[in-house]
Amino acid sequence: MYVFQCENSLDGILTGVYDAWDSRLGHKNIQLSSDSCGEILLFHEYITVIPDLEKSQKVSRTLICRLGISFFEVICKCAMADGNCRKLTMDKANAVYQAIVMALALPEGAKVLEYLAEPCISCIFELCRQTNNEAHYMIEFLRFAELENGVLFSMIHPKNNVLPIVAEHFTDRFPLENFLLYDATHQIAAVHKASKHYMIVDAKDLNLDIINRYSQEEQEYRKLWKTFFETIAIEERINSKLQSHNIPKRYWRDTVELKSKLTRH
Amino acid sequence: MNYAADNQNLITNVYKNSAPAVSLSPTVMEKLKILTDAAKYDVACTSSGVDRGGDGTGIGNAKSCGICHTFAADGRCVSLLKILFTNECVFNCSYCQNNCTNDIPRATFTPEEICTLTIEFYRRNYIEGLFLSSGIIESPTYTMGLIYQAIYKLRTFYRFQGYIHVKAIPGADPVLIEKVGFLADRMSVNLELPTSDALKKLAPCKSRRTILTPMRQIQNGITENKNELMLYRKAPKFVPAGQSTQMIIGATPENDFQIMSVAEGLYQKFGLKRVFYSAFINVNQNPGLPALSSPPPLLREHRLYQADWLLRYYHFTVDELLSEDKPNFNIYLDPKCDWALRHLEYFPVEIGTADYKTLLRVPGIGAKSAKRIVKARRGSTLDFPDLKKIGVVLKRALYFITCSGRMMYPTKLDEDYICRSLLNDSSQIPREIREQGYRQLSLFDDVSFAAPGGNPLRCRERS
Ligand code: SF4
Repeated sequence: MYVFQCENSLDGILTGVYDAWDSRLGHKNIQLSSDSCGEILLFHEYITVIPDLEKSQKVSRTLICRLGISFFEVICKCAMADGNCRKLTMDKANAVYQAIVMALALPEGAKVLEYLAEPCISCIFELCRQTNNEAHYMIEFLRFAELENGVLFSMIHPKNNVLPIVAEHFTDRFPLENFLLYDATHQIAAVHKASKHYMIVDAKDLNLDIINRYSQEEQEYRKLWKTFFETIAIEERINSKLQSHNIPKRYWRDTVELKSKLTRH
Repeated sequence: MNYAADNQNLITNVYKNSAPAVSLSPTVMEKLKILTDAAKYDVACTSSGVDRGGDGTGIGNAKSCGICHTFAADGRCVSLLKILFTNECVFNCSYCQNNCTNDIPRATFTPEEICTLTIEFYRRNYIEGLFLSSGIIESPTYTMGLIYQAIYKLRTFYRFQGYIHVKAIPGADPVLIEKVGFLADRMSVNLELPTSDALKKLAPCKSRRTILTPMRQIQNGITENKNELMLYRKAPKFVPAGQSTQMIIGATPENDFQIMSVAEGLYQKFGLKRVFYSAFINVNQNPGLPALSSPPPLLREHRLYQADWLLRYYHFTVDELLSEDKPNFNIYLDPKCDWALRHLEYFPVEIGTADYKTLLRVPGIGAKSAKRIVKARRGSTLDFPDLKKIGVVLKRALYFITCSGRMMYPTKLDEDYICRSLLNDSSQIPREIREQGYRQLSLFDDVSFAAPGGNPLRCRERS
């Protein structure tokens, strides 16, 4: 068995797919792995994949043209997922590879995504679900604060690499705002300038000082929002378990209205 | 569109005298508190039903799945800035705290205040849009005019493209309702109570006719607009997210069968998108109504929502679920399980071959899983572990299905046996109810739930 070890990123995995295919070792003898610290097995030969933009783009183009854009999107979302999940029975990169091999062998390839009884497909389904769910949670629960300079700032802590999906949403929603979305987990940020498209940038040395200087009205609106939030609940129906079931506690820290409730308990 | 000039006239006509003088004008904070408190009993707060990208010139878009932004202490979703324009009211509906005989602090927003709050909350991603309702100030038409003015400003001056839900005020000038309909995403007229008798008793200023008239008008508007949109894709959209309504449950003695029949009628005859059910809370301590000390009928409300779901997405009819002889839902089992137990002749269902509609009727299989099953079995034969991954709730479904002719465990297709097994699964009692301990017990005091024979483990009365 040959194991192609790829970097845990879309480009890394797609380069892995390219190299594996190119190696002509026979699909049955190949596995991909995105997990650098996985256990090393005897009798397996390990091949390190160096991410290569050109190769990854070739694979993207092939996938889009032979299997359609929605198939490709599923693969992207899958690559964005964290992948360290006990529910999974297969490595992320390997699932992607196996699914592509299966799909390209069929006349209506994109349909393989519906064959949930296939191990690689159920794995892709699960990863994609993780990414979608978390992106949706972020879109729901992240909060912007207006800084002194009028820029809207938000800090998020997602497990999966969902920033592009979230940034896309807010670019459409706030075309005329300048905003900065900071993913503190992955140390990257999406920067959006009014009427432009957004850009993802490295944010390792983000100046955390600016983001604590709020505009004058900011505190005012936070207070108004908290008042609204406290008032809208119906006393006779108070149900904190239902509340934290619907908005899991790990998202509370980045909201305005629930943050203070975390420290109290 | 040449609405603008026209609109301006309308505003000046309707909104002659500036907002009524409030003696000690309260701050925006005080107003927000009063007018949120007054709006909180309205349960329709979803932001779903319309997909609209931003056009790049303003702020906002809309997602048809709806987006919740937080959950209040009662566990309910907060999606829209849900407020009243004013809590002044000339009417005296006895279930409502804004009723003119109540001595409570009153406040009225200005259109400008509503716009600023909406925009500033929206920019911070606190909300998905605005839900605007109102008490009746001066007259229904006057009130509707104020609402129109606020959302007109929000849509045109602020170029707000997020979600707007507006209450149509019964009795308001139809011209105004139509104009609002071209600005709002969703409109609703509250049915308030399931029967016209109950309405007469509790809301003497309202009548079935004044409520159903705007409902019909909006329905017709939506239908006409659909035809128009087929001809000109750019025609302005009228209430694109559809119409909804709400009924108060438990204030008056109607049974579930009556309530669900009303809901079914509304879906079929008025083309409603949603009917909401609101467990009654006696805010006015009105002696003629169920007391405040008794908890709101939450489990009943929950069962009605489940049944409502079955009507809208699972091709059930009310007659299949309830009847004159069995007019109320089983408190121990959800309506679908309850139905399945009374129709064991349809089961077990073979996963490999059953059609979509048949799968939908299996307890534990939802609409999504049913769709996935139909597709996935084209690729390979499905077994129980696969079903689990697909999202089927096996502990409920296992009594009713076979995979390649086999059941998951040897079980009996026997009503009492399955019923007992299902009840051992405590998730049958909805979690939010179960966890309220004492409240759950006191639900049994509710007359409509008293089980004849008093054996709580019997899942249904045999006649
Ligand atoms: S019309 Fe009736 S329900 Fe509406 S605010 Fe006035 S009293 Fe309340």
